[in-house]
Amino acid sequence: MSDRPSAAELVEATREFLEQEVLPAARDPRLRFRTLVAVNALGIAQRELEAGDDDLLSRDEAADLARRIRAGDVPDGALAILKRHVAAKLRIANPRYLERYR
Amino acid sequence: MVTWADELRERLGAREIGEPRLLAGGASKEAWAVDADGRPLLVRRAAGGVIHQGTLSLEEEFRVLEVAHEAGVRVPRPYGYLGELGGREAFAMERVEGETIGRRIVQRPDLAAAREALPLQLAEELAKVHAIPREALPFLRQREVLEQFESELDSVGEPHPAIELGLWWLREHRPAPLEAVVCHGDFRLGNVVVSEHGLECLLDWEFAHVGDPREDVCWPIVRAWRFGADGLRLGGVGEVEPYLERYAELTGREISPEDLHWWEVLGNVKWATGALTQSRRHLNGQERSVELAVLGRLAAEMEYELLDLLELVS
Repeated sequence: MSDRPSAAELVEATREFLEQEVLPAARDPRLRFRTLVAVNALGIAQRELEAGDDDLLSRDEAADLARRIRAGDVPDGALAILKRHVAAKLRIANPRYLERYR
Repeated sequence: MVTWADELRERLGAREIGEPRLLAGGASKEAWAVDADGRPLLVRRAAGGVIHQGTLSLEEEFRVLEVAHEAGVRVPRPYGYLGELGGREAFAMERVEGETIGRRIVQRPDLAAAREALPLQLAEELAKVHAIPREALPFLRQREVLEQFESELDSVGEPHPAIELGLWWLREHRPAPLEAVVCHGDFRLGNVVVSEHGLECLLDWEFAHVGDPREDVCWPIVRAWRFGADGLRLGGVGEVEPYLERYAELTGREISPEDLHWWEVLGNVKWATGALTQSRRHLNGQERSVELAVLGRLAAEMEYELLDLLELVS
């Protein structure tokens, strides 16, 4: 077992550093934009490290489903399973995006 | 000064040029603002790699720009193909002032009148693009979209069952094809210069090809290109119906709600796959960039949207 800070806490500390110290000092618009993208990327990493999501398909499950659908053999309920799977990906990648569907 | 500034001055035949400034945006191409003998130019230059398979070379893109300009499409005046500048292909065109960032076009208070004008202007400009004679651009490829997206998805090397479901549904419900025309290939806000009067010109012709006109017509409707203004289906600036009606008036092509829906699903499959392939440019070392990297995660947005669209008709 590693010592604290955990991986998630290290990512969080780096994200806060970029947000609170680098961003206010960055004047060049490209540098600002890329810093915001980096803050967003670290937010994704932090959420992934902190959360386990039961709706997320494993890689094997996703690969099996993808193969079946490509072959034209779409299982019953595939749409509902996939919506839950993709919603779980979005809770990590961009939780605010899901609010647009309510 | 960039190392290729002298090369550029010579190719342009200019007496003096200002310091080239790299502008924001453009993942696969660089855009440089340069003033040559007082004329505002934009130099478009190759960056790392390509987004989709089968994009045009800059030389071909320049030729498309010339032909579109001759056909009366509103595009920046093409100045010249420059060959290689500092080892990378480039061309020069007029630098048109205006807003190109999608989010700002849908939000800026001073562009309210532009937003009102845009739906009809977009239809009118697209009708002109689709009237360009195919013979004028013999190098443009005609492609089978579903096969192309399937092979792009295969190149990603990661299972994406949601995109597979989209492709399956598209294969099952494919509409009868329309006669193929010259397509812009990335016709949406973000690739349009907008002033307070609305549309100034169409940019970014690197995806031009020969194909079904509905692919262009329905592309700006895809949710990702509404830039957060979800309620206005046409690019976050207006309703779809007036745009489709104007396009039909000018071209005789009526686009049914069913067609629109099919091409909207296709558009989401296309951009989901495009986002994944762009992130691979970072992952395979072709072009290291955090911007490209996160696109691999943002593809889930288009996956969700396409599933939502499929749910509407299931």
